[in-house]
Amino acid sequence: MAHEMIAATNAIVTLDVALPGIVWGWIITMNMWAKSIGTGIIFLGFYLLKKHPEQTGFIRFPVVAISIVFIHIFLFFTVIDLHQMFRFWHIFFYPHVTSAITIGAWMATGFVGLLLGMAYAIYMKKDEALYDKLLNYTVILAVPVTLYTAGLMAQSTARELWQMPTESAQMILAALLAGSAMMILLGGNKFSDAVKKDLAIVLGLAAAASFILYMAELVFGPMKAEEVAAVLHYIKGGEYTIMFWIGQVMAFLVPMALVCLSLKNQSYYLLKIAAVSALVGLWVSKHVWLVIPQLLPMS
Amino acid sequence: MQLGFLVDLRLCMGCKGCEIACKVENEVPLSTWRLRVKYVDVGTFPETKRTFTPLRCNHCANAPCERICPVSALHYLENGIVNIDKERCIGCAGCVMACPYGAIYIDPQTQTADKCTYCAHRIASSMMPSCVVACPVEANIFGDLDDPMSSISKYIQSHQGDVQVRKVEKGTDPHHYYVGGGNVTLNPLASIREEGHNLYNNITHLPVGGHH
Repeated sequence: MAHEMIAATNAIVTLDVALPGIVWGWIITMNMWAKSIGTGIIFLGFYLLKKHPEQTGFIRFPVVAISIVFIHIFLFFTVIDLHQMFRFWHIFFYPHVTSAITIGAWMATGFVGLLLGMAYAIYMKKDEALYDKLLNYTVILAVPVTLYTAGLMAQSTARELWQMPTESAQMILAALLAGSAMMILLGGNKFSDAVKKDLAIVLGLAAAASFILYMAELVFGPMKAEEVAAVLHYIKGGEYTIMFWIGQVMAFLVPMALVCLSLKNQSYYLLKIAAVSALVGLWVSKHVWLVIPQLLPMS
Repeated sequence: MQLGFLVDLRLCMGCKGCEIACKVENEVPLSTWRLRVKYVDVGTFPETKRTFTPLRCNHCANAPCERICPVSALHYLENGIVNIDKERCIGCAGCVMACPYGAIYIDPQTQTADKCTYCAHRIASSMMPSCVVACPVEANIFGDLDDPMSSISKYIQSHQGDVQVRKVEKGTDPHHYYVGGGNVTLNPLASIREEGHNLYNNITHLPVGGHH
């Protein structure tokens, strides 16, 4: 509608303040990317320890170590993105429970506590039973920690592109993609063929489902809202088109193709390339999706 | 009490007196605005006209900024004003992402969110907001929407067929009304922004929002 209106009125903004620009930039991309790995490795660790306990016992310590590292990367970038980072404690002492940021901060804090408990159980006490018991709680808490960013994006009323049902699915899929990719890189050649096959299938399916969601947004999003159509112009011939497709190819298409080839040829080497491509591409895909709605003028 | 604003765009002549009054009253730093007037040129020469639209916080009853704020820095006052506590704000910019009107910015001096508060400090002293006082044509009308005898309520009643709010589809229930508005003035997608068409080109902007 707006295009027809502009053609009819030739309306041109001749004076307005500068757009605020990209307020949530690469720091928030790092936040989402690191969180996907930090929670995803827990999902995959839980799955492998349940399904293949005999062959995957050695992953207990690396899984919790990787999760702790990446969750702290996520927390680090969360805090440094605050313009008043030394007031971070306000979230705990002046909490506003309708905010996804508040809920996310509490959940992430609990998640870190459980991770530290798991690390203590496996590294200090060498107690696998305690580790597995804590893992049951950790994997449950990993779900809201993964999803709260989708809630935050949904609460961003100004950004029509970020819709809750889609974003929540994308967050979970990103965690599965990143978790399986990291697990493939972690396992080396220690995993049996059955474990490798499971990881390949999770990586391939997460990539396929994520790609379908992005393409569905690309094609059908503009039919729902004019604002979405305007935003998607930035990746349909606009300034973020190349970056968007680099992300899609690296995060989803290359892993899908390599997973198929690796399953056919039983090549773990191809699977590792798929994992690296997925991790790099995920960062790019997340970044483009984060940035483009911020380019649209609100006034 | 529910305070609200109404701007009669048929009266506004784009003098920016309200902008300056707001800047002075609230010590708004360079490169940021709590209130600004947008100019949109319509038509093709020689059949052209210029429209003026003052834009400020809409003080929504269902404010996305208040909902997303993790520390209640953005909060409601009893008179309906969405106020901000800059001492409590952590500068997460969630409110900047949430506001569909682009009314919130990160103050480059305090590194906290800031926006129009309908001059809450003046209201507390029974004074009108500074932009209302400064307007030479009384295009800004301010008052209690719950009081049927207030000037704003009477204005709305007498212009019922021509009263609009911005972005109703967002469900924010804004308490900022416009009379004489249209798509060109109220819908940001209904006008284009092209290099070379600004009244002032090649402007050097101060960094907005600090470290990004």
